Amino acid sequence: MRAKAPLLLVASLTITAGPARAAPDTPAAPLTRTDATKPAVLTAPPLKLDVRRTELPNGLRVVLSVDHTSPTIAVDVMYDVGARSEERGHSGFAHLFEHMMFQGSANVEKGQHFSLVQAAGGTLNASTWLDRTNYFETLPGHELELALWLEADRMASLLPAMTQEKLDNQRDVVKNERRWSVDNQPYGSWDEKMQALVYPAGHPYHHSTIGSMEDLSAASLEDVQEFFATWYAPNNAVLTVAGDFEADEALTMIERHFGRIPANASLPPSPDLTIDPLLGEEVRETVADQVPLPRIYLAHRIPVFGTDAFDALDVAADVLGAGRASRLYASLVREQQVAQDASVFVFPIVGGASMFALWVTARPGVSTETLEAATLAELDRLATDGPTDADLERVNNLHAAHVAGMLERVSERADRLSMYTCLFDQPERINEEASRWGAVDSDRVTDALRASLLPENRVTLTYVPAEAAS
Amino acid sequence: MSERPIAGAPRPYRFPSFEHQRLDNGLGVWLVPLPHRELVSIHLLTDAGAASEDEAHAGLAGLTAQLLVTGTRRLDASAFAETTERLGIEVGSESSWDSARAGFTALGSKLDDGLELLAEMLRTPRLDPGEFDRLKSERLNDILQARADPGRLADESFLREVFADDVPYGRLSAGRPETVEALTVEDAAAFHAGHYAPNVTDIIIAGAITPEVARAAIERHLGDWGGTAPTHRTIEPVQRGGRRIVLVDRPGSVQSELRVGHLGINRHDPRYFPAIVMAALLGGVFGSRLNLRLREELGYTYSARASFDPRRAIGPFIASAAVQTEVSVDAIRQLLGQLERIRDSQPEEAELAEVRNFLIGVFPLRFETTSGIASAIEPLAVYDQPHDWWQRYRARLETVGGSDVHRVARELVRPDEALILVVGDASVLRAELEAADMGPVDVVSAA
Repeated sequence: MRAKAPLLLVASLTITAGPARAAPDTPAAPLTRTDATKPAVLTAPPLKLDVRRTELPNGLRVVLSVDHTSPTIAVDVMYDVGARSEERGHSGFAHLFEHMMFQGSANVEKGQHFSLVQAAGGTLNASTWLDRTNYFETLPGHELELALWLEADRMASLLPAMTQEKLDNQRDVVKNERRWSVDNQPYGSWDEKMQALVYPAGHPYHHSTIGSMEDLSAASLEDVQEFFATWYAPNNAVLTVAGDFEADEALTMIERHFGRIPANASLPPSPDLTIDPLLGEEVRETVADQVPLPRIYLAHRIPVFGTDAFDALDVAADVLGAGRASRLYASLVREQQVAQDASVFVFPIVGGASMFALWVTARPGVSTETLEAATLAELDRLATDGPTDADLERVNNLHAAHVAGMLERVSERADRLSMYTCLFDQPERINEEASRWGAVDSDRVTDALRASLLPENRVTLTYVPAEAAS
Repeated sequence: MSERPIAGAPRPYRFPSFEHQRLDNGLGVWLVPLPHRELVSIHLLTDAGAASEDEAHAGLAGLTAQLLVTGTRRLDASAFAETTERLGIEVGSESSWDSARAGFTALGSKLDDGLELLAEMLRTPRLDPGEFDRLKSERLNDILQARADPGRLADESFLREVFADDVPYGRLSAGRPETVEALTVEDAAAFHAGHYAPNVTDIIIAGAITPEVARAAIERHLGDWGGTAPTHRTIEPVQRGGRRIVLVDRPGSVQSELRVGHLGINRHDPRYFPAIVMAALLGGVFGSRLNLRLREELGYTYSARASFDPRRAIGPFIASAAVQTEVSVDAIRQLLGQLERIRDSQPEEAELAEVRNFLIGVFPLRFETTSGIASAIEPLAVYDQPHDWWQRYRARLETVGGSDVHRVARELVRPDEALILVVGDASVLRAELEAADMGPVDVVSAA
């Protein structure tokens, strides 16, 4: 139901699991401790998460990851379709369509998808992003087949359940989602504006996932039918099951429920996402908004998610923005006290160019010019001198703990496995991200920053209080 | 093929076993060994939340908790951040009404180093004047930012309007600008000296530990911590007035943030279990009555919900939604209608079973992570809940029947006494609200 979750998807991934995950929390058994020494640089043990991949004859890619730590399972179906697939005049449609996927299907009544999962003690949701859309359920392990059946029913037979009334209802819900998250929210329009400035008009990433009110108003039942027929087919999807289940049993269920769904023989190619690697000019915009403090957003075009340069910039983002010892927090927030907060991240975009973005909020009385200059000085310093060994040790260890924490959740494991399969056709990348991060050295960070963080490749979006602007 | 599948046999699940003891200095120790995990979570809880400050110093508990992570006598703010983060440890600290909390989640191998730093921070904080002033102004700025955010403005305004004047709960635990402005680093030092002591502190460690190793580490770093501190003051919540509407004017708003409610229950209320089932049915799950009506039928909102906020003393009960401006008045009617409906008749068994089964079945999902398990121990430590709380939790939910839900709804949901708080555009809403005959309307400006 989320139109976007860039911040949740930003960090690249490591995994430090493996045999350690093989047994349940109870009953307890003694733990052997052998690590009496304290290594100066901790690298998380590169143990492997169980990853098995197969494909049904209809093209559905299936990823299974068994882990009996907690008696729960997650099912995550990710479709290779997102806001990038929307045609002009249809912004927001991929997300509106995602809402329609909860309005019932041939054998499921409106509301029943939620009620069946909840009555089984599960949670569920969905998210739409530029490059993909996913649907997920987390349930007690013995309810695995319920989630598979529900997902298969809507993949096979959504359209008989679609009505104009349901579309009108969910259109209103999505418009209220937009009002809530964008239009009535201080700084709420920033990512929409940023995308529009970083990607040129006509590029599939130019418009936001939530879409415009106008385009939402224009969406029709025929659009729902056409979108479903075009994109919602097994050969355009990945199904991941993670958690406490038996692989053979699960595969039998998956074949039973999904095997009969026909492939779409005329699946269109992904849209052309080609774009110049650099913006070519400095772009600036000032926005007057109902905000008490000015805030500056910066964004740069960078190489796409999955490349070595992207990894290096991901590490750079953490050196600059993760934790109270990060460069921006230490310098702008604690020492100079020009900023109230600072946040830095990379977007996991796979076509054309991705984005390296940050925001800093001004302390009262600090001009945006002062804040911008102080921020750029820190970017320059890192691009010039590179991260120190201490910087790299810090971000590697924080990252390892963070990712281990995320991957304790079965839903997060399923989501990441689906993502790696959908975007790269490589689920096993979930086991390689620690080494990819660990392999980033100071030179790679400086090279990547020098190539991308150029003034002529920068968008600066400055929010100022409306009273001050008028 | 289209037949809904039959569920397999449920796997047994028990909340992990844990041990509890008290050191000679009074420190409460809770250990949850999870031997196959690689992470460890440490939560330190001290009875030094906002219930331990006086109203003239509202916000002091929160600022003191935040100040702790800005260094120790040995390590200044920069060195403390650098030292902890190089270990992969991000120390967090905060305070709520009922406790001040500090802790982290890290790889199990970092337990001893991390605990040493955490103990140093707790026992010998730096209490640096410059850092105090910085945090204080950040806090004041955050209050400013919160008031620009309609949802946060509604939350704060609701508390101010629902509690009578002299009830501390009528503000955020973070304080009010006037009181925060007056706080000094000496206040923080005195608060730390007076309220942080082992006899009012509990440490919870869950994850990749053996009890022996964890106990030894705790003894080493906190065993010789001395001193005693008083416990919190008693708060006696009283509601302000009866049914009325307060419209907080936020010109240009395209949505209205609605908060409808009154006082609820405290942590020790014997009706706790029927109350949480009733709140879930009304507004706690996606398929709740409020969400089905306001979202899935009317399309007025992205989400409508209701919940209790039980504290040591009685906290609020609030039904909420952000609705498009034009439908605000009808949305309030619909909210009130659902509050009436749950009082009027007992829920059907099927509806009740769905909610109860959700709360029972979702139980293991809450405890997937080491920090989730450590958090689950907190109410045992803070509210003295019985040690078998989680063992009995699901069985107690199972006994909640339709007549229980109906009875607590009649006692705990009182639309006739509800405060209706609206953050929205008064130029559009005022006349319609006044004409709606739902209660007297006060219009106030957003601070």
